[in-house]
Amino acid sequence: MAQGKIVKVAGSLIVAEGMSSARMFDVVRVSRHRLIGEILELRGDRASIQVYEETSGLGPGEPVESTGAPLSLELGPGLIESIFDGIQRPLDRIREQAGDRIARGIELPALDRERVWDFTPVAQPGDAVEAGDVLGTVQENALIEHRIMVPPGLSGTVRTIARGAHKVTDVIAVLEAGDGQEHGLSMLQRWPMRIGRPYREKLSPQMPMVTGQRVIDTFFPIASGGVAAIPGPFGSGKTVVQHQLAKWADADIIVYVGCGERGNEMTDVLQEFPRLHDPKTGQSLMKRTVLIANTSDMPVAAREASIYTGITIAEYFRDMGYRVAIMADSTSRWAEALREMSGRLEEMPGEEGYPAYLSSRIAEFYERAGQVVCLGSEGRKGAISAIGAVSPPGGDISEPVSQATLRIVKVFWGLSAQLAYRRHFPAIDWLLSYSLYLDNLSDWFTDHVSPEWNALRLKAMTVLQEESELEEIVRLVGMDALSWKDRLTMEVARSVREDFLHQNAFDEVDTYTSLEKQYRMLRLILDYADKGQAALDAGANLSDVIGMPVRERIGRAKYIPEDSLIYFDEIESELAAQTSALINRGGL
Amino acid sequence: MADKLLRMGAVGEEDAILAFKAIGAVAVPANTADEVASALHRLSRDGIPIIFITEAAARMAPEAVARYDQAMETAVIPIPGIRGSDGYGAQRVRDNVIKAIGADILQYNN
Repeated sequence: MAQGKIVKVAGSLIVAEGMSSARMFDVVRVSRHRLIGEILELRGDRASIQVYEETSGLGPGEPVESTGAPLSLELGPGLIESIFDGIQRPLDRIREQAGDRIARGIELPALDRERVWDFTPVAQPGDAVEAGDVLGTVQENALIEHRIMVPPGLSGTVRTIARGAHKVTDVIAVLEAGDGQEHGLSMLQRWPMRIGRPYREKLSPQMPMVTGQRVIDTFFPIASGGVAAIPGPFGSGKTVVQHQLAKWADADIIVYVGCGERGNEMTDVLQEFPRLHDPKTGQSLMKRTVLIANTSDMPVAAREASIYTGITIAEYFRDMGYRVAIMADSTSRWAEALREMSGRLEEMPGEEGYPAYLSSRIAEFYERAGQVVCLGSEGRKGAISAIGAVSPPGGDISEPVSQATLRIVKVFWGLSAQLAYRRHFPAIDWLLSYSLYLDNLSDWFTDHVSPEWNALRLKAMTVLQEESELEEIVRLVGMDALSWKDRLTMEVARSVREDFLHQNAFDEVDTYTSLEKQYRMLRLILDYADKGQAALDAGANLSDVIGMPVRERIGRAKYIPEDSLIYFDEIESELAAQTSALINRGGL
Repeated sequence: MADKLLRMGAVGEEDAILAFKAIGAVAVPANTADEVASALHRLSRDGIPIIFITEAAARMAPEAVARYDQAMETAVIPIPGIRGSDGYGAQRVRDNVIKAIGADILQYNN
């Protein structure tokens, strides 16, 4: 192993000499504290190393030792329900050992070595297996069956396979490779986090990831295996949207990366998730969640790594055939970590001081998402949907991180400070946002929700766009200048905004809306638009159309529980009755 | 074409609008709010571009009259009734002037 010594310390960056045998991205141990670092640059025998821990007290002359291996993650049973830091150190167990603050140089394996798991073999001795084939399963909790797979790059014949209780490092199977060499396999795999895990084939996403958030599912859906960005100024609700997605998204596994954000946001997750129940399985949401926490006060270099830690864990579960959603909050903080490191490396700065490779790094992260056919003879399909929050300073998305992100992602949920100020949540601006998956997903919605779905969506969007045009006129010459038809359009748009798009994340019923209910709500509002127009044509007064008593019920339809959707029929017939009364009175 | 250009309607108390019949207008007597509204809608639907309405009738159904303020194909014009003008028409002119130029230049009326 290369053993060098420190010649320079600059914050979290150190330069060491005598490192000629080290390789790029090797993990090193720095000083007598054995701090974890990673090589970022090699010039002759000088290595620039980013250290994932606090470097105060370090000085030139202290030893640096290369481990000869890249920064790798431990993948195996025990990941679910855990909380890790940016370089996969288990925060809960560190706390037991070292208290509230992470002590320097602490070494703890990511996965608990003492915990015993019940391994059930799937493969039999004598079976020929290839990389990605399932050897056996471990029921990690009531929700997640952890599939132990043959690691990438290995294939052969199963010689022995052991049933029963094992620790993660125990050899559970012996594989004889083609060259006759025997490999003992444990439940634990290691994978370098900066390299994407291999898959057989990437597929084009064809089904949505249902999130239960009306503005997202109806107007700007994300595909399962899609990528989305949520840019928004401070206080516009990025984190709440991310939390909502983490809670309700229709995915098997959630990886939540809290990256450079406030510590209490992570606390919220830790306190809330165990109490919440998944609407489909009835189990606690924590049972499908992996948390990566690198809050704003934790070392900046580890923040850079946290994104890769998250996506590698996501890929590992994807390879098992699960649909995984990864949320990163926020990628701007991550880009700032890149900038900080780049500055210390004395690299030539690009736009706004960000390194020139900013957009390729962002692309590397998002490109690891997608729907794939996994390795293995089974042809399992898995998907990673990646959702990144972006916090552009001042809410101005012309800055480099937002722009680099927008070039890659296909869904853009633009949060607006103005909507947040008007207490419209989620403050996703319907005129600004877009989803490029709409065409791919329209067939799915037609088949699985309603043939009318796409038409209704388009109509509601048209109403909202008309509203913004009419608002210009109203600002100039006042509401009186609008024809009754336009006034009704304004009223319908208000209804779409307030009764449909506005969604209370903290209301027990309103926090999640199934597609069926979304469809019924939208249909009800647009039905009112058609019937109202018919009444106006028949001579009814605008004030009577706007003041129909049934509108109160339309407004409250969002609070109808999922199991009582029958009430929608009732409201619809009430609407029909009140409209025909108006038409009859209209006198035409 | 000539026939179309000449078409006019009148709505209001019977005594006031009968005279319009003499010049070929379609006169519809109306004495309640619903009758006024329905008469206006019917005349408009029949494509009559100019409808005279007595001030008293217009006051009865303000919303129905307001509907045609923004309608391009129909103009509703208030006229004094048999008891003379009560200022409704003048007030409308004044309101429109204020809206158009932002100042009440017709103040001398008061």
